[in-house]
Formats: sequence, C-alpha cells, structure tokens
Amino acid sequence: MIKIMIIVLQLILFIAAAPILSGLISKIKNNIRLRKGQGILQPYYNLAKLFFKGEVVSETASWIFRVTPIVVLSSTLTAAALIPVFIFSSPMRQAGDFLVLVFIFALGRFFLALSALDTGSSFGGMGSSREMFISSLVEPALCMVILSVSLQFGSTDISAFNGIHAISVSSIVAAIALFLITIAETSRMPVDNQETHLELTMVHEAMVLEYSGRSLALIEMAAYIKQMILFFLIAQIVFPIALPVFSSLTQLASWILWYLTRIIIIAISAALVEISVAKMRLFRVADFLGFAFVLGIIAVICAMLGV
Amino acid sequence: MDCSEIISRIKKKLPDFNPISISQNYSEEIYIRVDSRVFKDTCLVLHKILPSPVMMLFAIDERKKLNKFVITCVFMDVKKSQWVIVSMDIPQESPCFDSLAKSIHSATLFEREIWEMFGIEPRGNPDLRRLNLHDEAWPQGNYPLRKDFNGINGQVLGEYKFGRVDGEGVFEVPVGPVHAGIIGPGHFRFSVAGEPIINLELRLGFTHRGVEKLFEGKAYPDAIRLSECVSGDSSFAHSLAFTHALEKISGASISGQAVYLRGIFLELERMYNHANDIGGIAIDVGFSFSAAYASIIKEAILQLNEKLSGNRYLKKVNAIGWVLADIDDVKKQILLNSLKSLKQDFKELVKMLYSSVSFMDRVDATGVLRRKTAEDLGVIGLAGRASGVPMDLRKHFSRIYKEAKFKMAIQESGDVLARLRVRISEFEESCRLIEEFTGKLSKGEKTSVNPELKQGSALGYAEGWRGPVLYWLKTDSAGLIERCKIVDPSFHNWQALSYAVLGEIIPDFPLCNKSFDLSYSGNDL
Repeated sequence: MIKIMIIVLQLILFIAAAPILSGLISKIKNNIRLRKGQGILQPYYNLAKLFFKGEVVSETASWIFRVTPIVVLSSTLTAAALIPVFIFSSPMRQAGDFLVLVFIFALGRFFLALSALDTGSSFGGMGSSREMFISSLVEPALCMVILSVSLQFGSTDISAFNGIHAISVSSIVAAIALFLITIAETSRMPVDNQETHLELTMVHEAMVLEYSGRSLALIEMAAYIKQMILFFLIAQIVFPIALPVFSSLTQLASWILWYLTRIIIIAISAALVEISVAKMRLFRVADFLGFAFVLGIIAVICAMLGV
Repeated sequence: MDCSEIISRIKKKLPDFNPISISQNYSEEIYIRVDSRVFKDTCLVLHKILPSPVMMLFAIDERKKLNKFVITCVFMDVKKSQWVIVSMDIPQESPCFDSLAKSIHSATLFEREIWEMFGIEPRGNPDLRRLNLHDEAWPQGNYPLRKDFNGINGQVLGEYKFGRVDGEGVFEVPVGPVHAGIIGPGHFRFSVAGEPIINLELRLGFTHRGVEKLFEGKAYPDAIRLSECVSGDSSFAHSLAFTHALEKISGASISGQAVYLRGIFLELERMYNHANDIGGIAIDVGFSFSAAYASIIKEAILQLNEKLSGNRYLKKVNAIGWVLADIDDVKKQILLNSLKSLKQDFKELVKMLYSSVSFMDRVDATGVLRRKTAEDLGVIGLAGRASGVPMDLRKHFSRIYKEAKFKMAIQESGDVLARLRVRISEFEESCRLIEEFTGKLSKGEKTSVNPELKQGSALGYAEGWRGPVLYWLKTDSAGLIERCKIVDPSFHNWQALSYAVLGEIIPDFPLCNKSFDLSYSGNDL
C-alpha cells in the first residue's frame, strides 16, 4: 500500500515538475543572449494549449501513429516509477533493474521512429534514421555508465544509485558521460537543436513534425519527464545524498532544497553548454558519443580498481 | 575609339563579321546591332574575349511600330570599364532564335524567361520548362510581357516535371515552398542516397509579381518607388541602378554631393545585410550567442539608417540627380560616432566566431563552389568573389571608389567560410569607405533637379551587397517607361547553390543556403 502511494506520489512529482526544467533552461539561455525570454512556466502553457487543440492526422497514417503517443508517455512514466526517489530501493523493484531502464527508453524511441515513417512524410523518415543512428551510439555508452555504477554498488539493482554514498573518481567520470548522453537524449545542442526552425537539420523535432494537438502534448510531456529522469540520475551519481528520514520537517525541507539545487545546477550547466557551442555536423555526433562511451569505460575501470 | 577596338577584336575571331550598326552611348555603352544569323557567334566571341558571363539577355516587344521583337544581350568589359550590348531583330512571324545555352551556361535561364514571357523560342535550348509562370496556374500560350497581353486566357493547366535520379537507395526529399521559418518561398527537391545529396533541383517563381510589366507605363517618381520594392533587402541598390539608368537617358547632371551620399547609403545597406547574414550563418549552426550579438549590430545600423534618411531600409532616398536625404554636420557626427562603436562591436563578433572551434568546424570546407564552376555558371557578386572570381562593379566602374582606393575582398576556397570572410572584410571596408566619403561631403551644395524626361534607352547598374544589380530601361517620347528589364544577382546565383551542396549532407543545406542568402523576390520578379 505504501509502495503504491509512493509510486503515485513519484509520478505526480515527475508530471508536475518536469516541464519547469525546460522552461528554466530556455530562460537562462535567453538571458545570456541579452533577451528577456519566455517565462519559466511557458512549457505548461504550451502543454495546456496543445491539450485543448484539435488534431490533424495524415490520411495515410495507421494505428501505429495513433498509439505511439500513449506508448511513449506510458513507457516514460514506467521509467519514472522505476527510479528510487523517496525510498532506498525502487518502489517497483520486482519489475526490473537498471537495464530495463535502457530498454524502456528504447521502446518509446522505437515507436516514435515507426510513427514518423508511418505518415510517409520525408522529414519523418530523415528524423527516424538520424534518431536511430544517434541512439545506436547512446545505448552502449549508457550501458557502460550503468555498469560502472553497478560495480560500485555490487548489483545491477536500480537502488544502486542510492547506494553510492561518497563521490569517487568513477562516479564523476560516469556523471560526465551521462551528461553527454543526456544532451543527446534530450535533443540539446550540440547534437540536436530544439529551437531551430530549419526542418532539414532537425532530429527529434523531425520525427514528431506530423503530430499536433493532444498527441503532441503527450509526446512533449514524455520528453520533459525523460529529461527529468536523466537529470535526476546525474544528480544522484555526482552529488550522492542520503534519502530523507521523515522524522522532522526541517530535515525534509532541507532535503527538498538540496534536491532542487542539484537539479538546477545541472540545468544551468546544460544551458551553458547549449549557448557556448555550435551544433556539430551530423556525423561528428559519432565522435561525441564515442567520447561518452570511452568515458563510460574509464568509469568502469575506475570502479573495478575501486577509485 | 573604343568601338573600333572591340570590333577589331571580334573580327580576329570572326573574320566576316559585319554588324548592321555600331554606336557608343553615354561613353560606356557600346551597342552592336547584328543580323540574327550571326547573333549567336558574336555573343560566343564576346563571351570568350572579354571574358564575361551573359549579364543580361532579354527581349523587347516592338511589334506595334516596327513589326518585330528585339533581343538584346549585355556583356561586361571590366578592363575597359564598359558594357558591350549586342542586339538583333526577330520578325514577328517566326518568333524564334538560336539558343546560346549549350555554349554559354549563363544564358540558359534568360532564354527560358524569354520563352515564357514573350513566346520567342530559343531553338536548341535543352530545357524549356517555365520558370515563373507556373504550369499549375498559367495555361500555355499566355505571354504576359507582350504588349498585347490582356489577362490570362485558356483553361488547360499542366504540371511541372522535375528531373529524376534513379538508383538503389536513392530517395527524393521535397522541401518547401512553405518552410518552417519566416523566409521566402522556394521549392527544393533533393535526391539523396542516405544523407549525402546527389542532386538538388530548385523551383522558384512563387513570388512572381510581374514587376517588369508593372514598370511599363510608369513615370519617373512612381517608378523609383517601385524599384525599391523589387527586393526589399537591397532597396537602395535597386533604386540606385534604376535612377542611374534614368539619369543617363534624361541627361541630368548629378551633384557632386549626391555621388558621395549615394556611396554612403549603398555601403550602409551592405553593412546591415552583411551583419544580418553573419548572424544568420551563426544561427543556422545553432551558435546563438554570436547570432544575438550580430542582430544587435544590424539593429544599430538600421537605426542609424533611420536617423540619416528617415527610413530603416533606405527607401525614399534616391531621386534623379540628387539624394533626398542630406547629411548635414549634425548627422555627420552621428554617423561617425556610430561607425566607431560599430567597428568595435564587429571586431568582437568576428573574434567570437573565429575563436570558436565548433563554429569553424561547421563552416570550413562546407558547400564548396569551385572557381571553374562559378565561372561557367556566371556566378557574380559576393558568391563569385568568395570563389575567386575577381569582379566588383565598384572597383571597375565607380570614380569615387577608385578615389577612395577601394580594396576588393576576394577569397579562393569558395566554401561557407570564404563567403563569411568576404562578408567580414567587406563590412570592414565599408566602414572605411563611409568615413572616406563623409570627409568629402561639402556644405551647402544643393541642386534640386527637375529632370527633362525624354525618349531613349540606357543601362543602369549598382553593386548591391549581393552583387551587381542591373536595370535596362527604355522610355517613350513622353518619358514613360516602355520596357524595364531587371536583373538581380540572385538570378545568376541561385543555380550555383545546387552545385555547392553536391556531396554535402542534407542537414548542411540550410547553412550553405544562408551563406549565399539569395533573394526570392529579386529572382522571381
């Protein structure tokens, strides 16, 4: 019973708080560019707008196109429920370990790529092929990061994230690798550009180009949640903290404060990276993610050496 | 004297060359009228010996009075600073002529335009698809630039046929004419094998407004205002070229002050567009901080334009023999002060771009247009100079630029970086030129000219920021415009884009496109 409550609480937290991260990042970016920028809450307004809008669906689209937004959102929510936020071990521990997380992400991506091909638009096809190219490089790197964390903890159990209580060389290197992966996974610069209006350069945006209205809202919501999950994982690796003991309010408050600070620090770093580099040539992404993979291997070696 | 020299050079190659008439107008235009049978050979010889691409090739409908069409071809002689203009008559009964396209590539599009607008067939041109009058909207048999055209006739509509590339794994990616950003409409059909582009076909003409037809029958002040609207980002260059042609015809003398003022405004237009494009190149590779910086520079120049002339885009500035916006001592000070801070800001911007590894990696060796290709296609202006084609009307034709020791910006590599570098050095040179010209401005010299409008024809030109803007103008006895042929450099350069992107990957196309930054409205007319 408590577990179910925690799962529900966790899902509510992720749904409610995820969009604000994107709003925050774009606000920081705009302020650096000497612009006022949209409010931090803009993603919520966008979601609300999309949710109450009608949809246009291509005549050639099949059931895959219709079902994809639901698959993408539900798989991301499952991932969100798998992560241990409030208690030491995952509330859905029986459901799977770390590697399941990788495959749950892959499931959503697979359906997204299929649906982009489904409508027969040329942009969708381009987006799918690029996304698959990028994800084939992301997954091995992600596995390496996970392996290094698991080695430190001694199990692939998902609670490994909470099991690391001190910063080690391995976890710092792993966090950097995970940060690079996050950039690719959340379609941020220099791998992809969320702000671009150039349809020919898009990766993620090209895949969802055919979606509108409520379906688009679901897909965007899923992207926000995924971003928050990844940020949370980075935060947990690089700034490990003990989970709150629900004994006193001040302790809980300080835990929440520190939790938010960690996420905000990562959001600011993401914004700074985005603002200071140009987008790389598509095939250079292989070098970029190859670097993440090598960092992952280094993290594994460090973990094995115990540093 | 110059006439005979060019004739003897032609005769060396073409021994039995016997023109119907030769005349020299306005000291820089040599008119050679030839028989229609030797027109092609004459053009080929001129193309080789000058050497010059076909700068203009157009038809005039003279059927009302003389029962004929006239076809005119304009070449540029940079060494002698003159224009060589060859023309021939075509009887109205058999409207056709021998195509130049197979020997001179730069004539191809002009011939297609003559075919669709006048119904004069260029025999032997391998491609007679229509450019601006889309088959989906214009039934065959309508020739709008003929004088007797009155409204679209017929109902049978056709369809445009794109070139096809077949093969295993070759896909077509159609893009546009409606794009995701706020840009002009153009259709791009890519044939790709994976990401690399193996063919790109452009289809333009979506902003065809019939500008040349609109000019017909217009009188002097209205026509200048119209020329400012041909291509909104080079409104000053267009109005300058138009005014230049009209001044030649009316024989109006240009006040010494106005020459320098025009120089200043022409360079200001160049500066704001170059700043805009440098920012555009940065934004297309997602380098957003420097793009924001460039937009600040552009805005500062636009505001400076407004302070000086009352218009951000330098409209309503040109007039015959004079410039409506004078720069007095107060404005002069504003101009010099702004230039000082602009130079400082620009230096920062350039430093920011050159010192970013990720940015330089994107622009270096991307979208290469080789010099040979550029020369064959007749690429002119900024894009040409970036590929090593040394041509700039300011250097070859302008007295004040010669006085100011104008230094032409030129690059050899022809990639996006080269086009960026040309822009950067032109921006810096423009700053210097404006300072130079401002020093030459004198006080109180004002002459308001009331031009005498008469019959005649002349070629007007100006080196806009994209390249040479050309206007060929013919007026009737009342001073009304009978025919106005406009060539914006975009018309020459659009084809170059489809060669520059070959072998590049699709995500690099927007960057290549931006580095050319050609005008849709200037091309479609």
